[in-house]
Amino acid sequence: MGTKELHYRAYRPRPFTKEERPRTTILFGGLTWKHERLIQGSLERMGYRSMPLPQIERQDLDIGKEFIDVGACCPTTFTAGNLARTLMTLKEKEGEEALKNNYLFVTIGACGPCRFGQYHESYERVLEGMNLKDFRLFLLDLLQMEQSAPGGGLEISMPLTFGLVYSMFYGDLITDMEHATRPYEVVEGSTDAVVKDSVELLYEKLRNRPIKGKKIDSLLWHVFTGYFVDALKEVRRLWDEVEVDRLRVKPRVKITGEFWLQTHEGDGNYNMKRWLEKEGAEVIPPPVAVWMDYLINMELFKLEDAKGFVKKYYLKKFAVESIARLYRMVYNKLRKALNNIPNPMPDQRKLKDLARPYFHYRLTGGEGHMLIGKALYAYKNKQAHMICELSPYGCLPNTMSVGAMAKVLGDYPDLLYAPIEVKGDAEVHAYSRCQMILTEAKRRAKEEFEQVLEKTGLTVEEIRNFEEDHPELRKATYRVPHYGYAGTASNYAMHVAKLMGKI
Amino acid sequence: MGIPRFLNVWGTHQFWVGFFNALGVGKIVFSSETSEEQYREYGKGRITMDSCYPVKALAGHMGELLHRDINLLFVPMIYSLPSFLKGHVVDTLSCTRVMMSVENLKAGFLREKDEFSQRGIKFVSPFVPFAEPEILPKYLWESLKEYIPGLSLEETAKAVKEGFKALDTFEGKMREKSLEIMKWCVKNKRPALLVLARPYHMDPGIGHEIDGEFQPYGYPVLWYNYLPLHDWLLDWLFGDEIRAGIIKSPFDISDVWTSSYSSNTNEIIWGAKFAARFPWITGVIRLSSYECGMDQPTFTPVQKIVESSGTLFFKFGELDETKPAGSVKIRVETIVYYLEKYSQEIVRKKLIRLKPVPSELLT
Ligand code: SF4
Ligand code: SF4
Repeated sequence: MGTKELHYRAYRPRPFTKEERPRTTILFGGLTWKHERLIQGSLERMGYRSMPLPQIERQDLDIGKEFIDVGACCPTTFTAGNLARTLMTLKEKEGEEALKNNYLFVTIGACGPCRFGQYHESYERVLEGMNLKDFRLFLLDLLQMEQSAPGGGLEISMPLTFGLVYSMFYGDLITDMEHATRPYEVVEGSTDAVVKDSVELLYEKLRNRPIKGKKIDSLLWHVFTGYFVDALKEVRRLWDEVEVDRLRVKPRVKITGEFWLQTHEGDGNYNMKRWLEKEGAEVIPPPVAVWMDYLINMELFKLEDAKGFVKKYYLKKFAVESIARLYRMVYNKLRKALNNIPNPMPDQRKLKDLARPYFHYRLTGGEGHMLIGKALYAYKNKQAHMICELSPYGCLPNTMSVGAMAKVLGDYPDLLYAPIEVKGDAEVHAYSRCQMILTEAKRRAKEEFEQVLEKTGLTVEEIRNFEEDHPELRKATYRVPHYGYAGTASNYAMHVAKLMGKI
Repeated sequence: MGIPRFLNVWGTHQFWVGFFNALGVGKIVFSSETSEEQYREYGKGRITMDSCYPVKALAGHMGELLHRDINLLFVPMIYSLPSFLKGHVVDTLSCTRVMMSVENLKAGFLREKDEFSQRGIKFVSPFVPFAEPEILPKYLWESLKEYIPGLSLEETAKAVKEGFKALDTFEGKMREKSLEIMKWCVKNKRPALLVLARPYHMDPGIGHEIDGEFQPYGYPVLWYNYLPLHDWLLDWLFGDEIRAGIIKSPFDISDVWTSSYSSNTNEIIWGAKFAARFPWITGVIRLSSYECGMDQPTFTPVQKIVESSGTLFFKFGELDETKPAGSVKIRVETIVYYLEKYSQEIVRKKLIRLKPVPSELLT
């Protein structure tokens, strides 16, 4: 009896061969346009043609719902809908055969019972629903360096992995620069223009980067080369030209939440970051890089817990610690090239300890304890006036940590916390909830600034006069140290006071 | 010692009984089964985020236990489970809501005032990775040593072994019972139904006793997590596919499901495969709670696995606190009609695809 024909089998993509590489376009998505453009550069250097999916739009939610089973979380629905919309457009434009033969979709998988781990199941429903079972969809696990797709057309090699890591770092750093600058730009639109130019410059750098070796030699080169730092130094010169006015008193809002939702910039999260800026806030965006740092450190914590049961414990610990250290070292080197304007990555051990009374660090899934840790870290270290937490409708882990925040808020009633549930189609409700907390954050930012003026005895006019003699202070790349205030204007006023010898 | 009868305590409760007995804990009090009244009286207002009902119900269990005569309230954060599929899948994790629900609910009881200490009850919620048996004793010991004076790590490790033993014995008995039912079906030419759900759907307040509705009609009901695992049986059902290189072992689900991280999901998928092959299972009942994010991606694959073999598939989804008694009755009657009409033909067709019935099933 033919068991093969009888029973249901999961989707398996047909192989993608090396020969097909030059005429096949890899579709991918899920991050900001900046990250995606940079990833494109990295892929092209390795000989792949690639194309990011179009920006997420509101209609993707409805398209997604049509294809996947009911009850999916909103990121899954949005991304599945986005894939479906892309495939429909390509099919219409180039025909079904061309779509099947000349394109494929790659998604990053791994980790946990929800999150990326099962996204592809929903994407498969899209292929089924569109009668495109022949279309190739690959799930890759970035943590497994030597993994490749069947056929050998897609190889995860050391140079490719590092290219992707640098794309991620670059994307994060530019995003940080962007959000630290735009609220204060003197010429409207100047930040957006320089972001675009920076991304293009870095795209070219990634696309033309030298490939030095394949294994350990490649690793060493990528970690210690000056190539990537030099590229950012060029970027810095572009940002030098942007003039800012840091005396605009604005509440600083830290974005936390589920991975996709917090890093996303578009309709998928009601364009929350832009909206907050429009409402007069400065946003602290979450870097994608923190997620990888979290994964590396979780390995370390797990190992430490299992001390006594692990063979070659010290050796293994040393190995993981070294990876964690190198990872941070590279990120910090890149930050430095931008005069340390982008925020440093949070210390994972600190996040873990801060969250400990409220959330066990080994409860992984979604952001785990990081939601609580980050909120407390920002509050205690006066990094932000307010936390805006983006929670996807139907999310499994996030709902639980948001619930656990109830106790945190009981202990820290002063912490301004706005958990926003994102359903995709209820932005008015989300905006108005956020607005309520934002109003209080604005009041605090103002109060804090007035206190600084009082403390330093300075007036705004005096600071302005000082600025005239020191135009470098108004450069986007001028770094204002942290004087223990959440607001940029407050720290800036303190800084000027110091320069004037008033404190 | 009070333990809520919730989520993954269903499925592991024999472990806890064995474990605490070995530690010499005086008395274990389980909360009652989930009910709307329990939630209304003890649980409402504790959960600050919308969630599926099984998680919300935990608030009622914890609240109820606070009103019972206990000193310690023990609510484990069950991170991973002992699964018969271990080794053939990526992992055996709990649903993230299941494992994290305790931290969420704890906040509800501490937010305004510490309700545990107010009632003189100590609250213990250890991290429980069943899939890492070597560090399990350590996590348990670390959270219990404060409350059980003199408790040593060695003692805890021994108790963990006893716990596993108790769980194995219990599961062994349940699997034997299932085998008996299956043999009865063969002998009497009667079909059976298989339930695919989370273990806590056995809780009447969560699963609404839908499985029980079929028994008066003479349909024995099997649960996927207690199916017999004898080599001769698995070889009869899966042997050809192993020899054809489609799967590596009878417990390999990678042919139908490529994201094998979650224990319950993996087992549900495996149960669907079993049902698709075992001739006398002619119908599958899928139960799923309202807004269950874990079940969501499995709906289509599970249905397809079952139906591609000609087996009947029925789904009761969106179960929440309200028991839809009337509509369940009507659906059950319809399902029974289909079972009566098609079962014998399904058995016949499924038998043709297999080698002769093993003698062990005929005894
Ligand atoms: S973390 Fe939440 S939103 Fe993200 S994939 Fe998992 S369930 Fe969906
Ligand atoms: S498996 Fe489903 S029903 Fe169970 S806790 Fe998770 S989301 Fe809720």
